[in-house]
Amino acid sequence: MRLALHAEWTKIRTVAGPLWLLLGTVAATVAFGAVATSVVTDPGDPTKVALVGADVGQAPVAVLAVLLIGGEYGSGTVRTTLTAVPRRAVVLTAKAVTLSGLVAVAGTAAVLGSLVAGRFNLPDPASLADGPTLRASAGTVLYLVLIALLGLGVATAVRDSATGIGIVLALLYIVPIVSQTIGDPHWQHLLQHIAPMTAGLAVQSTTDPPMNPWAGLAVTAGWAAAALLTGGLLLHARDA
Amino acid sequence: MSPLQTANAPGIVVAGLRKRYRAAPALDGMSFTVRPGVVTGFLGPNGAGKSTTMRVILGLDAVEEGSALINGRPYRRLRRPLTHVGALLDASALHPGRSGRGHLLWLAHSQGLDARRVDQVIEQVGLATAARRKAGGYSLGMRQRLGIAAALLGDPPIVMLDEPFNGMDPDGIIWLRGFLRSLATQGRAVLVSSHLMSEMQDTADHLVVAGHGRAIADAAMADLIAAASRDRVVLRTTAGADATSVLIRAGATVAATGRDTVTVSGLPANRIVALLNAGAVPFSEVSAHRATLEDVYLELTREAVEFHAATPGAPR
Amino acid sequence: MTPLQSLRAEWTKFRTVRGWMVGTVAAALMIVLFALLTGASSDQKGAPPVPVGPGGEPVTDSFYFVHRPLAGNGSVSVSVSALDSRVPEGPGVVPWAKAGLIIKQSTRQGSPYAAVMVTGGHGVRMQDGFVHDTAGPRGPVRRLRLDRAGDTVTGYASADGSTWTKVGTARVRGLGATAQIGLFVASPPVVDGGGTAGSVSTAVFEDLRGHGTGDWTGEQVGAESPSFAGYPDNTSGSYTGTDARLTVTGAGDIAPAVGDSLPTGGHLRDILTGTFAALIAVIVVGALFVTAEYRHRMIRLTLAASPGRGRMLVAKAVVLWVVTFAAGLAGTAVAAPLGERLARDHGVYMFPVSSSTELRVALGTAALLATASVLALAVGAILRNSAAAVTAVIAAIVLPYALIAVPFMPAGVSKGVATVTPGAAFAVQQTLVPYDQVASNYTPYYGYYPLAPWAGLAVLAGYAVVSLVLAAVLLNRRDA
Repeated sequence: MRLALHAEWTKIRTVAGPLWLLLGTVAATVAFGAVATSVVTDPGDPTKVALVGADVGQAPVAVLAVLLIGGEYGSGTVRTTLTAVPRRAVVLTAKAVTLSGLVAVAGTAAVLGSLVAGRFNLPDPASLADGPTLRASAGTVLYLVLIALLGLGVATAVRDSATGIGIVLALLYIVPIVSQTIGDPHWQHLLQHIAPMTAGLAVQSTTDPPMNPWAGLAVTAGWAAAALLTGGLLLHARDA
Repeated sequence: MSPLQTANAPGIVVAGLRKRYRAAPALDGMSFTVRPGVVTGFLGPNGAGKSTTMRVILGLDAVEEGSALINGRPYRRLRRPLTHVGALLDASALHPGRSGRGHLLWLAHSQGLDARRVDQVIEQVGLATAARRKAGGYSLGMRQRLGIAAALLGDPPIVMLDEPFNGMDPDGIIWLRGFLRSLATQGRAVLVSSHLMSEMQDTADHLVVAGHGRAIADAAMADLIAAASRDRVVLRTTAGADATSVLIRAGATVAATGRDTVTVSGLPANRIVALLNAGAVPFSEVSAHRATLEDVYLELTREAVEFHAATPGAPR
Repeated sequence: MTPLQSLRAEWTKFRTVRGWMVGTVAAALMIVLFALLTGASSDQKGAPPVPVGPGGEPVTDSFYFVHRPLAGNGSVSVSVSALDSRVPEGPGVVPWAKAGLIIKQSTRQGSPYAAVMVTGGHGVRMQDGFVHDTAGPRGPVRRLRLDRAGDTVTGYASADGSTWTKVGTARVRGLGATAQIGLFVASPPVVDGGGTAGSVSTAVFEDLRGHGTGDWTGEQVGAESPSFAGYPDNTSGSYTGTDARLTVTGAGDIAPAVGDSLPTGGHLRDILTGTFAALIAVIVVGALFVTAEYRHRMIRLTLAASPGRGRMLVAKAVVLWVVTFAAGLAGTAVAAPLGERLARDHGVYMFPVSSSTELRVALGTAALLATASVLALAVGAILRNSAAAVTAVIAAIVLPYALIAVPFMPAGVSKGVATVTPGAAFAVQQTLVPYDQVASNYTPYYGYYPLAPWAGLAVLAGYAVVSLVLAAVLLNRRDA
């Protein structure tokens, strides 16, 4: 496992893409959050507004996660990987761990940057010393990590970057958009409570969360776990 | 060899592999052995199961029946597998944005090896000048060299290369031929697949010929050549038709093999000379036939390449 | 290769990759699936009916009405000495607050009427039939007059009470022998940020003179109506005083309903919400259709078979466009009627759509999907990397879609996004009509796009064509 981790880390740092995508995550999250905090007139929930950039910042995270394994299928290096590390569960775990670590670091930078931007823009900014704000911030980092794992799982299952990116972005953004048109509040709540993005980002609310914040994050975790499990089982069962 | 010896045998032991893709059998009882100190050539028409066998040996593809063992153990159970087997399957399988050295570096790290070993193999395959460039810009020959470097990384006792001569320039081919020989001389087991007959004939000591998902030959190169050359005589004559009728009447099998040459089997050379002289058939040369690998291959796979004539799934 | 052969070769390539066919069919199914979901998930059974005007369009017909019967022809006049509006926690001016004279068949919502009025910010107006609006004379106006002669109703305004200027004449069918005539005050919600805030207005009328019999009755017309947001907290409609000086307080509006004044109304766009999911599918297919050639190095074979590189690209684009268009049209043609019917069965009032508009939405949605997939193809040919192409095109089309779906997005940003990005093409799904005489959030979120339907599609097509040209130039310049 240690060796597989070392190899995955070397893989990531010997190409330029992951670094740019992680920087993109930080930049997109902070920039979008800064715009939101500067245009919003009545921030009912300053923490949530400051962290709204995660809506956009999660996209490069998802792309990075998909490319981590989808890129190997694209170039064929996945066979080399599995020749070097024949136990496939180890390969997937090593990728998941490496990815989680990187996204956690980038996510923390993104969240801290967004809070600082919010501090400049909002009349009544949030402070990390508040329990709910701390929860929202840590929860957002955790959320980004879970989205990365979801992407990794999906891409492992479909073995193609483009398809994987399409599926993950659809999974993320479809419910926030579609639920606007769902007339019945019961259905609307149901959809928002089971979709990975709307449920998981409930953790950002500090005033009036639409659902229990940790339960929401658990829904996202469920998606990530299901995707990783499906991907892992297929990786185990299929010829490489 | 007894089963116990087989299980512990050094090298690769492939036994009774069976695998289907949808309905069509891809492997149908593939069995052979790759021994240390010997270059084993792996020949066969497309679709005969060569690449599938190599992927099965490396634990990439699963089989329904049979086993492929590396020094007595299945590949997936090896710790630091690249120190047991080095393999080159698809030289183009590279991340285009990663340097050749970066590619070898992550492989090395996966086996607990360090950057010094990476630089050694880069030197060994003659890729030192290009190693830090992005692999996306490599020529096919450079990719082959990088793939070979990857196979050598763990200093493995077994080396397995799929079509390593592809895309190599003449210098590269000469280098690779000598290189493979030297690997065997060092006592390593070497399995090389190639469709370049002449390269194989000059390089391999032992030959496995695949057809219909089985090994239809598994023998020393010298024996196969000798067997294919057996009691055949090449006759050079401008009167091919006359010669043929005279010799067939005497019980020989005659096949036209060139513009003014025929190959005769079933009769010794001195008898042929006597018959031709008696029939007043002119000829310029009678010589014992020396088979090439191509002859061996064509003879062995004649049935295999005519796969369209056989009903799939029919008893063999 | 002739152009026809190129097309045929590309079509064969397309249909022989199962994943691409599956993706295209999935796109069509997504549209249908989401239409079913949207239709089936709505539940408004038992909601009060949406008032409908003479033209069949949904209307707001909720206002405070001080009336008495008028048999046959007659006239009424009044001075409006004050009109004050209040918006709790909002701007103090209600531009379309209305106070004046009205003749209406009955107090039934949607019944025929004509009215002359002063407004909060738009001067004197003559309105009838909910959609007709005529501006009156500029300058100070003291007095209003409304005459009925058969079906003809004429509104007048005067600065001094003796010189009358005609504001407008309306032919109002169905007023009946005895109509209700009198005073009215309406006060529509005002636009506040990305939403609306309820308002209430009070007018002081003086010197009410004219025909009609009996006592004045004051009542709120359309108190319970889906197109009426009700009174702000702690306010209500009322009238006090005598003919010499009457004070009337009212809220609501007499106007066509728009997206945010009838929030429970369903649009065709909502039914076709699966367009978003379908878009992602066709973008993936479009990008893969060309990048797969690079990945498997088939591009060399393709270019060897058809050396005209631009032609190859055009053939691919044509095949992709036609296939995606067909799939999109099939999906929309099934989804729209099915979803609308389901929604209606669940009691949802659907904004009426003419068949020509419905056809435009179906064709436009199919064209939107097809053009987006061609954009993905072109970007794929430029970037030669499916993952990058898919990400870029999704970001370019879907991100704007997501941005304009945020209700509190400032209208300027939202309209800008829907004008210059490829997401402008969603204008093809607009079925709502904006009205000058109704202040509302005419933003993409509420179903109003800044560009005309085909102009919006043209923006996306522009992106696709420019990308395609760039791709062709690069294809010719670069080594395969």
